[in-house]
Amino acid sequence: MRKPKTWWKVAMVVLLVALPAMAGDDLQERPANTFVTLAPVGPVTVPVGGGAPLQLKFVIGSGLHINSHKPNSDLQIPTTLKFTVPTDLGVGPVTFPTGHELTFGFAPDVKLSVYSGEFTVAARMSAMRRAAPGNFTVHGTLRYQACDDKLCYPPKDLDFTFNVKVVKGARRR
Amino acid sequence: MRRAPYLLLLAVLLFGCDRGTEPALVGKPAPDFTVQDSDRKVSLRDHRGKVVVLNFWATWCDPCKVEMPWLVDLQQRYGPQGLQIVGVAMDDSGKDAIQTFAQQMGVNYVVLQGKNAVGDAYGATGYPTTVYIDRNGKVLNHILGLVSKSEIEDNIKQALAGGTSQTASTPAASAQGK
Repeated sequence: MRKPKTWWKVAMVVLLVALPAMAGDDLQERPANTFVTLAPVGPVTVPVGGGAPLQLKFVIGSGLHINSHKPNSDLQIPTTLKFTVPTDLGVGPVTFPTGHELTFGFAPDVKLSVYSGEFTVAARMSAMRRAAPGNFTVHGTLRYQACDDKLCYPPKDLDFTFNVKVVKGARRR
Repeated sequence: MRRAPYLLLLAVLLFGCDRGTEPALVGKPAPDFTVQDSDRKVSLRDHRGKVVVLNFWATWCDPCKVEMPWLVDLQQRYGPQGLQIVGVAMDDSGKDAIQTFAQQMGVNYVVLQGKNAVGDAYGATGYPTTVYIDRNGKVLNHILGLVSKSEIEDNIKQALAGGTSQTASTPAASAQGK
């Protein structure tokens, strides 16, 4: 029986699909941008003397989780957020989402409060009455500690910036 | 002739894929270090002549806490044969907090507060990281992440028997204590 001419092409396709799966977990150091990143922040426009909502969506790398803002153990490092804002601007209050519970086969009695996938932190930008209209940059730092199901990484800081436009407030009648 | 590019690609797929690199330390002398432990200085070379298992951990690391009771048991059983487990805590917690935690866990092996430089020297990019060192100070194996107790014990036995270096294994899909 003559073999099909395309048998080796089929074999290569199988290898292309199978080899990545056969490679197994590679626990060498992960690049920093595979841990947590910040999705682009939409335009934030704040009237003088007023405020505007701020939504920060963080994306956690596949296979990882980070402790929530209120982990279940005092030993675990919580996720926190700090801002450095220009004069006459403010950020607050900052609201973290509730973490979801996670357990692992290696410790079924231990319940962790974590974020995984994506999570959004809500806050409110404000501008004092004396704030001058214009474009400003706000700096933020998300501190987190990530693990997968076998390995925990040292705490890391995600530094980011986003732009805020301060506009004249509506005239009061 | 038309098949040549495909055959070349096939060869690359079969032999060129990286299936996990062997850590650079394995087979080489273990980097020496000295840390201050309470009122004394402790160096790795103090344990020359023993099989040393360096276990990098942190109080906030849950997989590390799973390993600790296993390491306690293995230290007790293989200590008389020349095993010395050294737990290197990579916490920002104070020495007292680390020692208190170790006492609560019933740790019966040496626990030191590590420095970033020590962790970097041993490629401890995450925890637990476990490094097996033979009696002559040569690194036999380097494991990143939680593995089963049986795998830890096998590595210890091999090291005590004068084992040679082997490719660092990847962690088991689910670690189970025995």
